Amino acid sequence: MSRGRGCTQANRYRTATIAFLAIGLACSLFVATGGSLAADELEAKVARWKSDYDSRVLPIIRERCLPCHNGEKAEGELNLARFSTGDKAWEAADAWERVARRIRLNEMPPQGSPGLNDQQKGAFQRWVDNRPNQDLCRQLASEDTQSWYRGYVMSRRLTRIEYRNAIRDLLGITPSASELPPEDGAGGEGFDTVGDSLFTSTIHLEAWLVLADQLIDRALPEDSAGKPVPNATLSEIAPPAAWPQIQGGTPDQQTAAAIELIRQFARRAWRRPPESSEIDRLTRLFQTSLQQTTLTNALRQPLKAILVSPHFLFVVETEPNETGIFPLTPHQLATRLALFLWSSIPDEQLLSVADSGMLVDENEYRNQISRMLADPKSAALGENFGLQWLGLRNFENIRPDPQLFPEFTAELASDLREEAVQMVTSVFRDNRPLSDLLSSDVVIVNGRLAAHYGLPLPPAADWQKIAVTDGRRGGVATLGAVLTAASYPRRTSPVLRGRWLLDELLGNPVPPPPPGVPPLEQATPENAHLTLRQRLEAHRLKPECAACHDRMDPLGFGLENFDPIGRWREQDGELPIDAAGKLPSGEQFSGPAELKSILLSRQHDFLNHLSRKLLGFALGRELNKFDACIVETAVKRLHKEGLQSRVLIEEIACSYPFRNRYYKKSEPTPPPPESRSTRLFNALRKFAEKSEAVRKQNEAAKQPVTPPQP
Amino acid sequence: MKNHTRRSLLRGTSVALGLPFLASCRQSSIATAAPLSNSTSTKPPLRAAFIYFPNGVWEKSWIPENTGPDYTLSPTLQPLAEVRQHTLVLTGLDKKHSHGGDGHYAKTANFLTGMPVAKTTGKNISSGGISIDQLIAQYTSQFTPLPSLELGTEPVISGIDSNVGYTRLYGSHISWQSPSRPVAREINPRLVYERLFSRRLAGQTAKAAEFQNLLDFVLEDASQLRGKLGRDDQFKLDEYLDSVRAVERRIEFASKPRPAGWEPGSPAETQPPAPGIPADFREHITLMLDLLVLAFRTDSTRVASMMFANDVSGRNFSFVDGVTGSHHELSHHENNAAKISQYEAINRWHVAQFAQLLKKLRDIPEGDGSLLDHCMILFGSSISDGNRHDPDNLPILLGGSGGGSIPVGQHIASKGHTPLCNLYTSILDRMQVPVEQFGDSTGRLL
Repeated sequence: MSRGRGCTQANRYRTATIAFLAIGLACSLFVATGGSLAADELEAKVARWKSDYDSRVLPIIRERCLPCHNGEKAEGELNLARFSTGDKAWEAADAWERVARRIRLNEMPPQGSPGLNDQQKGAFQRWVDNRPNQDLCRQLASEDTQSWYRGYVMSRRLTRIEYRNAIRDLLGITPSASELPPEDGAGGEGFDTVGDSLFTSTIHLEAWLVLADQLIDRALPEDSAGKPVPNATLSEIAPPAAWPQIQGGTPDQQTAAAIELIRQFARRAWRRPPESSEIDRLTRLFQTSLQQTTLTNALRQPLKAILVSPHFLFVVETEPNETGIFPLTPHQLATRLALFLWSSIPDEQLLSVADSGMLVDENEYRNQISRMLADPKSAALGENFGLQWLGLRNFENIRPDPQLFPEFTAELASDLREEAVQMVTSVFRDNRPLSDLLSSDVVIVNGRLAAHYGLPLPPAADWQKIAVTDGRRGGVATLGAVLTAASYPRRTSPVLRGRWLLDELLGNPVPPPPPGVPPLEQATPENAHLTLRQRLEAHRLKPECAACHDRMDPLGFGLENFDPIGRWREQDGELPIDAAGKLPSGEQFSGPAELKSILLSRQHDFLNHLSRKLLGFALGRELNKFDACIVETAVKRLHKEGLQSRVLIEEIACSYPFRNRYYKKSEPTPPPPESRSTRLFNALRKFAEKSEAVRKQNEAAKQPVTPPQP
Repeated sequence: MKNHTRRSLLRGTSVALGLPFLASCRQSSIATAAPLSNSTSTKPPLRAAFIYFPNGVWEKSWIPENTGPDYTLSPTLQPLAEVRQHTLVLTGLDKKHSHGGDGHYAKTANFLTGMPVAKTTGKNISSGGISIDQLIAQYTSQFTPLPSLELGTEPVISGIDSNVGYTRLYGSHISWQSPSRPVAREINPRLVYERLFSRRLAGQTAKAAEFQNLLDFVLEDASQLRGKLGRDDQFKLDEYLDSVRAVERRIEFASKPRPAGWEPGSPAETQPPAPGIPADFREHITLMLDLLVLAFRTDSTRVASMMFANDVSGRNFSFVDGVTGSHHELSHHENNAAKISQYEAINRWHVAQFAQLLKKLRDIPEGDGSLLDHCMILFGSSISDGNRHDPDNLPILLGGSGGGSIPVGQHIASKGHTPLCNLYTSILDRMQVPVEQFGDSTGRLL
């Protein structure tokens, strides 16, 4: 890599001790900062930027923005009154990018309010563009760099999908949806990989326990002679010589081979070489069981224990007992990489590379990334990242009206979902340009879906890529699943679809309607004859509505040729479809093909947003200002290298926060209160018992309530 | 043996695990505290359920015109006709900590906690307090195989709502073991059945012993691991530890004979539901409510929560006569008469399901009366009018007389901003949970 970022730092820690590392890191930080801007030069720039705010920008804001964006109940929850000085404006440096973009696109101030003149616009934009750059690429949020920092959870349990995939890779058996623990919610940038929003309840543990029990029994059945016979996947985990010895060796050979099986299984499941004390405990479990049950069943016990252990179920990144930023160990890094690209645990090859220490070698690390993306398991990028990003995770819960749309069968729903998975997967697996996600001449469909879309393919045809030329299909915005999810059960909604494009695709969220705004589609006797489009247009005449609906509605109308289940249509009932739109920027378009050109012209917003999303997914946390640099660098490199998806994956996997972790030494908290709360509980109970007599007296004194008559 | 000692120690404590999170309720220091019920009593115990439905109601059709025992059933409450003498209609109740925040998440996550919901997309998630069902479970779990039951019909909502700045998981959880720990719900009827009747965990003695060994093993793993983690990470592992203990306790419970005394109903004649989630929502709801009845009848648990659907649910309700649209969409009725009548029909359908549940409970004899007589079934939503998202004048029904202690069969209209939590403290009293105050309660409603 040319910029000295990312992977090169890794070479250092092959021989280094932890203490040395800390110093090494500090040095590299120093060098990096020195390379970009000398400290005093930066300071001067910042001072100039602040004074420009006071003299040039603040007057504009006072005149044009503060009437609405003022105080605690400010429009769009953006209170610009807070930034009363250059110093305060500097503290919120990130917010200005958003403000500038809205002004640039003529979205703000909204239609009906006095806008900025060209001179004011120019002054504002220049000021934002001149924001002095800090080098944030080699920093992490920590208590030194962010005063509010409270640490973030990285030690978390596996998500439902990660657990399913890990079991599949370990045992060759994929648990069914109804066997798995419940679905997970999301946090951070909107993904379930965020530790803060992953919780463990009793029903999780019950599912893990029952599955470990049933699946190990299935993967390691007993033959008629009472010998354990592993299935294909399990037999590959222990060395080839081990199984014959377990099945027919002397007791000593048997024990030795069993230990070897336990060691290898624990290594794979726990993503690291198990410690000898851990092997000893697992072996004891085997040997104790052997006294009570059959050989096969005794052998199963340690394997089950391995799958119920927190070492398997939790992504644990233990650290040296010091405060500071430390690189992940090779095994921790391998796990993060496998969770990122496969939503699963490392395979044998990745684990061996981690064992050998070679994973810190830049070339080897990149080789592994390439190999893993080519592996079928990278379909997880589509299924896990893709569906969450597109808001389709719960697609099976979307039920269009069965009377209006009897065609929407469970099979069709599953095809629509699968198409979304395959589209995202193929962009990453085939190293396609990310712009394919906005617009593409290729769709991936099977026969049933092709019929739904009106594409020529025999009904029984399997999944395949076919070329489309009319611009109607291709890209995520015209995925049947997206169009269905952003509709009501019985009709389309240009507002919902427009909101989806802005929010999920361009990263430009629309605030909820402010209280007191008249409802959107209010039908009165006077306007009952109006079409939805006309009523929306009337609604947009009010400035407080226009601010958002001018952005959402036209985009959504561009998709009106798709019915509520994503089929092409020229008419809605009696009326011909009008798929024309005009954006606040003045751009005009009609229909999906031209809409996609508009989206492509905002490719930069899209790339920024997608990069943020993928980084948030990979890191499993909310992004902060230090992460902006990763996104910026990735987008720059994407533009240079033809938007190839591999670039984004590499930039994230090589990024500083992906490979390092902030660790805060803390006094260990006592384990969940046992004795203390027991004492409290018992005291409470005693007290309650004592007061029984009093209660009875009170009861007797009370007016009795008549019991209900049966 | 070392393991054994530790387990014996845990046995006594699992009940009280949630106690440190009682920040939102003040322990009772006056004589309202009742003794914990004695499992050897021959009288049937009380049970409590908290049932939530999303998206509010059309108040004008919900609120009965007059109060007292002779009130007239409002249009929406018509389905209660047959069980009105077992039902209390409560209006004028309010959740003061839900007046800020967004229209849904800040209202639903705290439906049963009565405390403020933290505005966050993931960091420091908090519902403000422990939920009433989980608090009750701390006291009743010692008598039943399951501490509590949490039911739903839809998976947790995925994603965050970047427009309002909340994680959507808030809309999927009303049961909170602590302010920062929602309890996962079971949405698959077959799995609920299997949980209730221990088919999976403690069916055979040999398996139970195996499971206990495994759990002992991983408890040690977890304790060792815990010591190596940072503080926030330790909290995550504590959830795991608590779950292991809960399952251990459960397995042990099954291995012991039920104490002599009151004899609950037997599940023997009940068929397990078909595997998978029913495609028809009506069937799904019926199954889940039947399982709730079964759980109470067999004394598998004494407290339960259920969400008819997640908040903001856009479920298509065209299966109800006169409705052509989805729930959340129609709840934003915009004062449009056509939409209001559909919204109201959806509300009425919900009330009808509740009435069905009460009838089933009423028809099961228990002790001197019916199972319903020994229940308190709360049914309500976290907002009043779905178009305005107001958390005052909440639609709340209470079915069952709590052992004859609740003046059912009337409409009580509270004045001013009476906290919903004043009803919760009344329920807690009857469940013999010694608290003086809960959530934002200012006293006792009943």
